[in-house]
Amino acid sequence: MPTTTTSQPARRDARANRPLARPRLTRRPSRRPRRGRSPLHLILLPAAWSLAIFDLFVVGWLFLNSLKTTPEIFEDPWGLPSRPRWHNYVDAWNVAHFGEGVLNSLVLVVASGIATLSLAAPAAYALTRFRWRWSGPVTVFFAMGLGVPAQSIFIPLYVGMDRLGLVNTLWGLLLVYTATNLPFAVFFLTGFFASLPHELEEAAALDGAGPGYTFWRIMLPLTRSGLLTLFVLQAIGDWGETFFALVFLQDKKTISLALLNFTQTVQYTGAEWSVLFAGICIIVIPLIALYLWTGRRLVEGIAAGYGR
Amino acid sequence: MRGADAVEAAAATPPVRRTSRSASPFDSARRRALGVFVVPALAVYVLVVIAPTLLTVWISFHRWAGAGPMEYVGIGNYRFMLRDPAFHRSFVTTMVILFVVGAITFTVAFVLTMLLQDMAGRRFVRAVVFFPSLLPGLVIAILWGFLFDPQGLVNHVLTLLGVDEPPLWLGADHLFSTVMAGKVWLSAGTYTVIFMAAADRIPRYFYEAADLDGASAVQRFRHVTVPLMSGVAGVCAVLWSISALKSFEFMLAFAGATGQLPPVSLWTFPLYSYATAFAADAAAGFGVASAAAVMTLALSLVLTILVRRVLAERTHVEY
Repeated sequence: MPTTTTSQPARRDARANRPLARPRLTRRPSRRPRRGRSPLHLILLPAAWSLAIFDLFVVGWLFLNSLKTTPEIFEDPWGLPSRPRWHNYVDAWNVAHFGEGVLNSLVLVVASGIATLSLAAPAAYALTRFRWRWSGPVTVFFAMGLGVPAQSIFIPLYVGMDRLGLVNTLWGLLLVYTATNLPFAVFFLTGFFASLPHELEEAAALDGAGPGYTFWRIMLPLTRSGLLTLFVLQAIGDWGETFFALVFLQDKKTISLALLNFTQTVQYTGAEWSVLFAGICIIVIPLIALYLWTGRRLVEGIAAGYGR
Repeated sequence: MRGADAVEAAAATPPVRRTSRSASPFDSARRRALGVFVVPALAVYVLVVIAPTLLTVWISFHRWAGAGPMEYVGIGNYRFMLRDPAFHRSFVTTMVILFVVGAITFTVAFVLTMLLQDMAGRRFVRAVVFFPSLLPGLVIAILWGFLFDPQGLVNHVLTLLGVDEPPLWLGADHLFSTVMAGKVWLSAGTYTVIFMAAADRIPRYFYEAADLDGASAVQRFRHVTVPLMSGVAGVCAVLWSISALKSFEFMLAFAGATGQLPPVSLWTFPLYSYATAFAADAAAGFGVASAAAVMTLALSLVLTILVRRVLAERTHVEY
């Protein structure tokens, strides 16, 4: 290994000053040596690529099908549409109620996202930073909620909300989404707040800032990227949520209910697959846009949230 | 102003201080703010998540249709459930998802992680493979169903390849395996992303040392990568257990033309709870549905503790 021997002195110097970060950062670009590849690699590598290509293909194929007529989908599954039928989207939006679903889901996702963040961020901050005997137990108590599945809370919630007149309203679902997002949000944000330096808060306190001011004007802005990642993660999770929507809504629709409804009518009548594909595209396109926009941060956020 | 408040507060309540360290006005101001910071989140969480969970346990010991009086039946609901063939099916399906689909998903994710480590275009492949995990389960399920439809793309390809009678993927014989394969496709991406992040944190000099000692690729993997990733794999195992016990919408989309629910062969715990709670005949009702939910909860607790226990026995490596 010539590289290691030549870089040895430099590395030792760097180590003396900065224990870890320096040598690793400079050597990042050259990843593991490529020698020593097993024949297994030669079989599996194409498999990895074909999985990626398959995923891309499915998205492309979905989009193409949304522009065909239903007979075209079946007769010519590979071909391009003879003439792009944008009308499928109009039908999906109006006739198949995807429009209503998108609006309701959008309201739910944005409102519950904001509500969760405004509840979880102060709580996570106080639990990591305030010296309190119960901080540890309360944090664990929140994390326990990660293990509570939807089916073990829906019956009492349904009965309770029915009595309060919250069934079949977006308010009820909003409350449920906000609360069920809390465990992950607190868990995720405690990691973020714990990594911030203490000196800032002490300096703020010396300048006469109270805890509320310190949180709002100093600590919260520092976690902006974490809050955004969390918001996007929650939005993705709730965008197509089905179980609670199915339980708590009756004639109102979210995207998942619109989709479910329409699938059933398609199966009965056997028609209008093209409109179904257009509807799926209406659901998927915002997610693709979001992914392209926040992609790397999102992937790293997930890795950071769970990987520790 | 604020500083004066804090000093006043510190002076007003000196005897209750626990230790000398926390006697600063800085800490006492924070302690007074604690309620404002923590209580709203805690209240919503307790009211909407914890209280209903406890009530579900309570309901599981009663016969109840949602309104009217509750009749105490002891463990009657549990007995009914354990004799119910639909519950047996749900149990088997959930366990298959938990262990078989889980094992395959983790294997796929692990192999992808290893492959992507020194592959050109790894970021791109990772981003693409992760994408299905972002889509709603319902969407994935509908696409999957369409791909494997008798007239769908998969059979189209098989016919082009010269297979005369391609299998009926969504027929009674194959439906289960087809759906399970779909779940692997849906889940593998998430775990690949997490595993890759963990693998990236393993310092290179471990591999260099292994190289110098003449370790083969397999040995490097076995003796460096696997032990150093066991912590993350454990977290993922817990996550997987929880999500497996929640499998709902992916199955829901495979409802045939018969009605709103998929065939019983695809039922999982959530589907069983949902179906019995809102069953048309209302014979079982909320009690049995709650009993099934309590069982799920207990299982999720046991699995979490078990995985933690197994992992705690391994040596924790700092690097």
